[in-house]
Parts: sequence; structure tokens; C-alpha cells
Amino acid sequence: MNRPVLVRREQVLRGGQPRSFAIGLVVALTIGIVLLLGAGHDPIAVYERMFVAALGDPDSWSVTLNRAVPLGLAGLAVAIAGSMGLWNIGAEGQILAGAMMAAGVARIGEGWPGPVLVTAILVGGVVGGSLWALGPAVARSQIGVNEILTTLMLNEVALRLVQWLIHGPWKDPDSFNFPLAPMIPDHGRLPVLFGRAHVGVLIALVVIILFAIAVNRTAWGFELRVAGSSGATARYAGLSLERKTATVLVMAGGVAGLAGGIELAGTADRLTEGISNGFGYAGIIVAALALMRPSGVAAVALLFGAVQIGGQSIQTMGVSSSVSTILQALILFGAIGAGVLSRYQIRLIPGDPGGDEAKAEAS
Amino acid sequence: MELSGIWKRFPGVVANAGASLTVRTGSIHAVLGENGAGKSTLMNVLAGVYRPDEGVVSVEGIEHRFRAPADALTAGIGMVHQEFRLVPSFTVAENVVLGAASRILRRQAIEDEVAELAERFGLATQPDHPVWQLSMGERQRVEILKALWRDARILILDEPTAVLTPAEADELGVVLRKMADAGRSVIFISHKLHEVTGFCDEATVLRGGRTVAASLRVADTDAGELASLMVGSSPMTTERPPPHPVGDALLEVTGLCALGDRGLPALESVDLKVRAGEIVGIAGVAGNGQRELCQVIAGLRESTAGTVRLAGQDMTGVSPRRLFEAGLGYIPEDRLGVGLAPRLSVIDNSILRTYGEHRRGPFIVSDLAEAHCVDIVERFGVRTGPLDEPMAGLSGGNLQRLLVGRELSGRPRVVVAAQPTRGLDVQGVKAIQDLLVEAREAGAAVLLVSEDLDELLTLTDRLLVMHDGIVVGEFDPITAVRSDIGEAMIGYAAGVGT
Repeated sequence: MNRPVLVRREQVLRGGQPRSFAIGLVVALTIGIVLLLGAGHDPIAVYERMFVAALGDPDSWSVTLNRAVPLGLAGLAVAIAGSMGLWNIGAEGQILAGAMMAAGVARIGEGWPGPVLVTAILVGGVVGGSLWALGPAVARSQIGVNEILTTLMLNEVALRLVQWLIHGPWKDPDSFNFPLAPMIPDHGRLPVLFGRAHVGVLIALVVIILFAIAVNRTAWGFELRVAGSSGATARYAGLSLERKTATVLVMAGGVAGLAGGIELAGTADRLTEGISNGFGYAGIIVAALALMRPSGVAAVALLFGAVQIGGQSIQTMGVSSSVSTILQALILFGAIGAGVLSRYQIRLIPGDPGGDEAKAEAS
Repeated sequence: MELSGIWKRFPGVVANAGASLTVRTGSIHAVLGENGAGKSTLMNVLAGVYRPDEGVVSVEGIEHRFRAPADALTAGIGMVHQEFRLVPSFTVAENVVLGAASRILRRQAIEDEVAELAERFGLATQPDHPVWQLSMGERQRVEILKALWRDARILILDEPTAVLTPAEADELGVVLRKMADAGRSVIFISHKLHEVTGFCDEATVLRGGRTVAASLRVADTDAGELASLMVGSSPMTTERPPPHPVGDALLEVTGLCALGDRGLPALESVDLKVRAGEIVGIAGVAGNGQRELCQVIAGLRESTAGTVRLAGQDMTGVSPRRLFEAGLGYIPEDRLGVGLAPRLSVIDNSILRTYGEHRRGPFIVSDLAEAHCVDIVERFGVRTGPLDEPMAGLSGGNLQRLLVGRELSGRPRVVVAAQPTRGLDVQGVKAIQDLLVEAREAGAAVLLVSEDLDELLTLTDRLLVMHDGIVVGEFDPITAVRSDIGEAMIGYAAGVGT
């Protein structure tokens, strides 16, 4: 009798990843068919709707791209730290901090000309996110406080701060008592590229590419990767880790903060409690799927964005949100499986099922 | 206990190609072979860690198919791995019973039980001490106790002496003999021949995954025959390099003091000088300050007093990078953890020290980096796969060649080599030793720290002995008497005081 085992590939498949991505997707969608049939839906119609909503025409592409922006930047914020072996779990809080700072800039700069205001809002986002990461960065690099805990806990603090702002000092007097901050001025919004896609898509892409190049090709990135491999090796190679750890975490915060600024000026138009909507946590998944490589983040974020937009759209045809969530998870699981398959292969090997072995032992 | 026709394949390698092994009850059986001969794989098959692709494992006539180490343990086979599997924060007794104690832990009772067991086999240990406080030798005894407590009748020790001092290794031999006399079998994996001839009864030699000699009686053979079986031809021995004129002192250490990892003094005023064109050896029982001395010289540990001079210049407390640039090549004891970055590619590892030179602006020019890597790989005979793949796939000997090659490629003026040949196979040892001699001939000052006295006596021009953080003696390796060196190592030499 043959049984399947996972065997490590002699070499990671070159170009095998797109192929195994496709296989993983097909497997996931097949399982999804069973799920949808069980829930009483027409799988073909649901899948068609998902696809059309996410990638069917330029308009849906523009929505998907907009969604991929915060996912990609959050993923990058995790992956940059990850290249150095650090865990930035705080992208969520850094996005919120960036959005707060950006919203503050928008309040102050109401009278500024458009290009100046837009730039200032985005810079505000970067600064806000960086500041939010500064505490964990200093604590980690100077006295070795675990950055996982500090960044994670600060997420909650950022959320409370946003809530306080929109319930209190920044509450819109015209919001009929809803906890909403006022809209940012029109000329502070990000210019539109096509459909609903805003210029943040380009900014995010450029930032991701710049970081991918920096990590893979520069001496700075080399030092980062050495430090990520082993701290003792990095010291041996003559690197001082303290400053590098701090810079990298602050940079990661800045990248996530940029996402906050872009969300504020690109899609949300005002500071809300849900402006981050879990992007920071999704970013951890994005980075993991990209194997912590900044170069892989853009593609993963696009897939993730499409799955989210598609998944949301089918809720309007009566698919419950839980089924939709399961479907989204399935597709991402398929992709994770694909990542594994590009490094391992399934082989059928002759072997005895457990029963026989148990008997052999008993005899 | 019998293993026969064992095949085990890994991607790209056949680790065992029909290997077999028969061990008699109550004997100490050595399994010999070079690195990569398949010793560890075979033992992992026996211990239930790997499942063989083909072949039969039988214990006392009963055929077994182990699915997990626990199954092997049930059949009475216990293994002490090279890397210990202990919980540092638990006590010795807790580690011994870990996972096997089904009843409520009664600390005192267990400690007594473990103490009694240790007593029976002459394993000195303190059951109530946490493992992190123990030396490597003590940790190993805990691993052995673990197996004994689970009533293992066959105990596998994978290169047990690699982490031990010579004195501890001798002690281990006594313990193993007691176990054999008590009717248990011991399988002893090693590539140190004198240990095999010293306290084993029988030996099986593996080469290229096959058994080339089964159950030789050690009394009927000698080290030379075993060595030639291992390498397949006459054993290679490095010959004493011809004398070489020496020049100025390139490395001068004066009054050097430093603290160890636990904050206790590890170096107490060390003085030494290494001149151009000589190899100075440091012998000593592990843990007498050799490691700390190398680290301080290499800029990886702070000194508390004293100076380190490189070619006359004071370099005390200077960063590792500036030391490298000033001409210090350092081969650290911990290759994978300190000297190399296993997850990075072969190229990345080869430029670890010099990446600053392959830059154009902020970028590392990949052509330059690759050329540097190819240069090292070719000059130092590193056998590798694709250069842009992670380095972790290289064998131990090739990893060390890459590391040594990288450190020597810039023709350093001073070379500090800490245990550079430990754990390598015969060919690897010879290759590394030749490189050190070449460096000497090129006029470098070489400081060689080793636990292999034969190596030191062959290679060095002067031999220093360290004990308890100080240099307690200097010997001429040509005329020195081994027992004198041995006495100095354990602090009995004349003039050793505090």
C-alpha cells in the first residue's frame, strides 16, 4: 500500500511558485464548491461574482488595488523587520497612529494648497507610524525588551486614542452626535488614477520596490539579513546591532504609518475607528506568505486584496459573512500550501499502514 | 541487537546504502567512520528518529519497526544525541524524568532515585541543580541518566567525547565499562581512534553508507588498521612542517583580564606573543579561558585590564571589523553560530567580512561579490552547490573550508584559530591544518587553540598551556613530554600558583 509523504525538494523549484500557487488555488476553490453547495448557493455564480467584483473590469481592479495598498504596506512593515529577525506585530497600531497624525496635519493645513497638503498628510502618516514604533524600537535595542509584546500592546493604545479623539476633541459638530471626525478638505485627498484607484497605489508600489532593492542589493540590506540570520554572526562581522534594530523598527513603523496616511487621504476621507480594519494583522499574514521577503509582498497583497474584495461582494447575494470568511481563508490556505509545495513535494512511497506496524510491534 | 541492509536516502544523498551492524549484549561497540559515512543516520534509524527506506532492525531476535523514538525506547534503545535535548531551567532530576513521570512529581523521591541511579554507574551529578548551570560534560551525564532511568539496555552515544575534556572522556570510558559489565550494550560513535582502541570491545567501520568492516575485535586490530578502513587508503597524517624563520611579534597580549559568560573572571593576566611566521599553540582543558582569550583578541568580548597589540599597535577594545581590516583573521569555535550565517547564500557568507569592498555607492555589486566567492571556493577547494543557495546544505568540512578560506583570503597578518579542526573528518582536518601552515609560511602569526594535543604537537612552533585563566607553561613541541603538558593542563605543573 502506498502512502503520501512530504519530501523536501533537492532544490527550491525555480518558477515553481506561480505553478503551485495555481494548484493551491484550484484545490481551495474545489473545497469551496462543497462548502457553497452545502450552504445552498450556486458555486459557479458565487465564484463568478467574486471574480467580477475583484478583477472583472477596470473599476473592480481599482477597488482591489486600493485594498492591496494598506495590505501591502502593512506586509512590508512586518517583512522589513522580519528580514532582521524582528517581529513587528504592531502594524495595526502604527497604521492608526499614522492616520491620527495625518488627520491632525489635515486639520492644521486646511488652508494650504492641494499638493502641499497631500504631501504633508502622507509625511504626517510616516511620522506618526515611526513615532508609534519608536518606543518599542528603543526598548528593544537598548535594553532588549521583546518587541513582539510592546508592538502588540501599543495596538490597543492606538485604538483607544483614536476612539478618544473621535468621541472627544475631534468630533465632527455636524455628525448628528455620531463619533466621527470631520472630513478632510477635498483638496487634501489623493489624486485619482483611474476608476477609484488613487495615487497611493503607485506610492505603495514604489516604496515596496525600493525596500526590496534595499534589502536584497545594498550593503545596508546585507547587514540586515546577516543580523536576521544570527546576532552573534552579525557582531562577528562587525555590525553594531543596537542602532540597526532601532532604525529598522522605526522604518517599519513609518511604512505602516504611510498606509494610515494613504487610507485617510485616499479611501476613508476622515479619521474613523475602523480606518485600519485589521490591515495591520492581515499584514502579518501577507509577510508570512511572502516568506518575509519585501520583494514578494506586492504580489501577495494583490491576491489578498482581490480575495477580500471578492469575499465582501458575495455577501450582497445572500452568502453569509461567515461562509464568505471561510472561503477567503480557504483561498489563502491554498496559497500557503502552495508556498510549502514549492519547497517540498508529495511522494507516494510504499509503506505499511499503521495497523500492520502496530501488529509487528505487538508480536 | 542487529541492523541489516539499512538504506536511507535523503534528497541528493544516500546516507545509508545497505549498512549493517550487530552488537553483542554487554559490550562497548564502536561505530567508526568519517563525516558523512552514515554513522549518525544509522544510529537515528536504530533510535527510531528516522525510518529506513529498506532494511531490518531487530533487538534480541524480535524484528521492530520504530515509528518514533518512544518506540525504540520501549524496545530498550536509548540515544544520547550530539546536541543535548535538555530543558535548561529544569533541575537534573526533572530532566531525567521529563515526559516519563506519570505520577505526581515528588521532588525529593525523584532526586533520591536519580542520585541512587547515578551512584550505581558512577555518574557524578547533583540532582537538584538546574541544567543551565552545568558544564557540557555534566549535561551529557544527565542525558545518559535519562536513558538509564528509562531502562535502556542499548545506549547509543553519538560522538560523546566531542564536547568533553580529555579527563572527562576518560571518566566516561569508566562509566561505559560499568554499564557494559551490568549487562547493557553501548554503541559508541566516534572518529577519535585512540578512544576506540582505549575502551571499546568491538568496532564496526562505515564508509560511504556501507559497512566495510563488521564487529572487528578491538584487541586484534590497531589504530592504523581502523584508520585505513575509514578512509579507504592509508591514513593521512599531517607531517611536522619544516622550521621557518620568525620575524617581529605581530600579536602581543599583555596582562589581559576578562570576565566569562557568568561574570566570573575567566582570564587573569594573560601574556603571550606570536611572531611573524610561527604557529603558537594553546593547550588546555576546555573552560580554562581559551575561548574568552580568542574572543577578546577578536574584539567580541570586553577586557577588564591589559592590552592587545597587533603589529605594534594597541588594538584593545577595537571593533571586530577594524581588527579584520588591520589584518586579523579569526576562525571562531562556533562555526555555524558565529562564523557563518547558515540561512544566507554561499556568496553572502563569503563576503561577510569584505562586503564593504564590493560596493558601488550603497549597492553591493553582485558580480564582484560572486567573483570573490568563486575565488575562495576555488582556492580553498570548497565543494558547494549553487552559490546563491543557502549555505546550510554544505557538509561540515566544506563549511569550515569556506570560513577558513574567507578569513585567510585577505592574507591576514595575524590568524586566531579556535578549534579549527574539531569534528571534521580526516581529509577536512588535513586540509585545514595545511591552510594554517601555509598562512605561517606566508609570514602570518598564527595562534592555534585546540583540544587535540597531537595536532598542537605537530603544527606548532611553541606550545603554551592555559589553566584557570592564565598561561601556566610554555613547551617546545619537539622535545616536550606529553605527561608534562598533561600535568600543566590540570594545574599540577611546577610554579603554578594563584
